[in-house]
Amino acid sequence: MGKGHPKANERLDDLQPYRGSSNFAARFFILVSLAQGPGENWSHIKQYVLKDAVMQSAWLALLTGLFTTGLGVGLAWLTAAYDFPLSRLFRWAFALPLAIPPYIAAYTYSAMLGYTGVVQTTLRNTFGLQLSQGWFNIMSVQGAVFIFTMFLFPYVYLIARAFLESQTGAYVENARLLGRGPWSVFWLVVLPISRPAIAGGVILVCFEVLGDYGVVSYFGISTISTAIFKTWFGMYDIASASRLAAWLMIGVLGLFLLERQLRRQRRYSATSGKSRPLVRRRLRGAGGAAACMFGAVVMLVSFVIPVAQLVVWATWTADEVWHEGFYRIIGDTVAVAIVPTALTMVAAAIVAVSVRQFGGIFGYMLAKAVTAGYSIPGAIIAIGVLAVFIKLDGWLAPVYAALSLGTGEAPLVLSLSIVMLVAAYVVRFMATGYNALEAGFEKIGPQYAEASRLLGRGRTQTFLRVELPLLKGALLSGTVLTFVEIVKELPLALLLRPFNFQTLATKTYQYASDERIHEASVPALCIVVVSLASVYLLNRIERGMEV
Amino acid sequence: MKVVEMHRVSFTYAGSSDLILQDVSLDVGQGEIVGLLGPSGSGKSTLLRLIAGLEAPTAGRIAVCGKTVADRTTFVPPESRGIGMVFQDYALFPHMTVARNIEFGLHRIPRGERKQRVRQMLELVQLPEYGSRYPHELSGGQQQRVALARALAPKPSLLLMDEPFSNLDAALKADIRRELRDILRRAEMACLFVTHDREDVEAICDRSITIDAKVLV
Ligand SMILES: Nc1ncnc2c1ncn2[C@@H]1O[C@H](COP(=O)(O)OP(=O)(O)OP(=O)(O)O)[C@@H](O)[C@H]1O
Ligand SMILES: [Mg+2]
Repeated sequence: MGKGHPKANERLDDLQPYRGSSNFAARFFILVSLAQGPGENWSHIKQYVLKDAVMQSAWLALLTGLFTTGLGVGLAWLTAAYDFPLSRLFRWAFALPLAIPPYIAAYTYSAMLGYTGVVQTTLRNTFGLQLSQGWFNIMSVQGAVFIFTMFLFPYVYLIARAFLESQTGAYVENARLLGRGPWSVFWLVVLPISRPAIAGGVILVCFEVLGDYGVVSYFGISTISTAIFKTWFGMYDIASASRLAAWLMIGVLGLFLLERQLRRQRRYSATSGKSRPLVRRRLRGAGGAAACMFGAVVMLVSFVIPVAQLVVWATWTADEVWHEGFYRIIGDTVAVAIVPTALTMVAAAIVAVSVRQFGGIFGYMLAKAVTAGYSIPGAIIAIGVLAVFIKLDGWLAPVYAALSLGTGEAPLVLSLSIVMLVAAYVVRFMATGYNALEAGFEKIGPQYAEASRLLGRGRTQTFLRVELPLLKGALLSGTVLTFVEIVKELPLALLLRPFNFQTLATKTYQYASDERIHEASVPALCIVVVSLASVYLLNRIERGMEV
Repeated sequence: MKVVEMHRVSFTYAGSSDLILQDVSLDVGQGEIVGLLGPSGSGKSTLLRLIAGLEAPTAGRIAVCGKTVADRTTFVPPESRGIGMVFQDYALFPHMTVARNIEFGLHRIPRGERKQRVRQMLELVQLPEYGSRYPHELSGGQQQRVALARALAPKPSLLLMDEPFSNLDAALKADIRRELRDILRRAEMACLFVTHDREDVEAICDRSITIDAKVLV
């Protein structure tokens, strides 16, 4: 491996003191520090780390938000309103970047652009060009924004396209009939009325950015998330980490309020109930060619190139990586994803039914409470879950003693087990399952349940015999989505996994932080394949439901 | 004994401040067939939903067969009221065949009798061959007749219908109307139905009620 990245080495040195330490030690010290309250670390952090971290996090979220809005909405409008060469392919291909978690994209691009990477070697050997390293340095805030934008824009694209296709037909037709050209239709009509939908997607992207650990830690950018990791694993100072988490929560709450504000105006914009689907226009000649080129570049950069590179690396290292231990990692990943997925879906179903039953303010609060996990960065959920489990272990100490489990005065049993990671996944991804179910409920409407009740069936019977069969598709989509999210998840797995427990995501991270990018490609590709399979499955489910 | 008594019932949909019904009182006697008329948006469907137990009144009292089912302190859920309803949009369960739809409300009668009751009902609505079809394989009028059969099958003491004949052609409408009246009479079943058609009222109703501007006139 070439060591062409000064920044990467610096970052490795940073990590040295606590890289080898086991989670056991971390948790033990957390226990101690919880009892002690904030120590002198905090004043150090506050003085030297906090301001930078807050600024960097804010910049990343802001810039990524802006760029994903531009790219996502632009592509959505292009594919929703126009027919041009390859536009049918692009329509679904622009969803594919979601199959590549940003941290994997970050490793891939930085290695590709490195001194020994394919880009520079080709330039040197084929064209004899020797450019300054500065040209290729992706390990910066700009680089991170680039990665986040290219691999998170589908969140905006998918929401915006669905909205544009189904909701804006009548308005666009009228604007065209009133003699408006394509640009003013877009700026004056489409953008304002689709703002609530777009806001939903962009906020989701910002949550992802604020919660990210993989990309920023690899690029050596100091954000609040990385600061939490450092105080946790570097100083074993959970109290300071909690305070950092509070700062991060302020940002998250701010985003929440912003989203509410942007969405509230929805009720002023929707005046016509029934809407016509948008009719696509044909783009010919130069316009069509330009649109096609643009789409092709985005598709190459955000999917084809990184995947091709991963495949090439995987062929180099598969023999070495793909041994028996690797099967165990795959098995563990699947197992640790299946259990919380099942729990999540059952809980989501119960909550969805209760929300319907209680209705009103209480139902709204319940729904908000269970979906909040998605907006909370992994590092914060980890701290919360850990605190709860350590408390639990405290209460259960007599039970452990009776069963002669664990050792010492205050044995840690639950909080050293996989149970904790499972619980954290359920908290974090409840929203994914719940939202899918909720969409299903909305689609079938209340009338079938009402008819069943009037035929003398109680709530439970109605749910089991009428709603559940009708919700099969939604339930399946929710299950697939939740499963994939968990397989891709990195920060929670890193923070809460038991000793010696690896998932595909943590293995990828480990290889990458050991500067073994080529080896990292094998587990990374496994994640990409699982994600792609899920995209395919979701498509099938959706089509199946329409019949 | 009255099958339904509403006493000074008022109603507002949750989350809205519009009073939909104000101080509405009405009675339906045993075996009585009553037509409910009124302009669109006047609250006819809402009135049926209140009696069925799909909504709770904001004030007033509703009793079914002499038993209070809704007032300030009581609320009997729809499945325990013994009321049948044919919905404006039918709401046939899309994942069940016609026969299974009709059988759905028969869980309280002995298993052996269910098949026979289903057959009777299908004959009644003139669809004896359609038991194994799915709702989406039926025309609008056929769906409407299945919905009627499904509501009648458990022999409710009161049948509520929201524009039950709107999708039928004139000849079929006359037929079904006559059949329906005979069944209701034979079973001494009371019926309250919403209609826009004066002919319906003249053909089968004992009397009619008109609702306008939140109150009965
Ligand atoms: N879920 C709801 N929330 C708030 N208002 C509602 C709701 N459903 C109906 N309304 C309002 O209640 C009023 C009465 O509606 P309802 O459906 O009872 O009228 P209707 O007499 O059945 O009309 P139609 O003959 O058109 O079926 C209407 O003004 C309607 O806008
Ligand atoms: Mg109505």
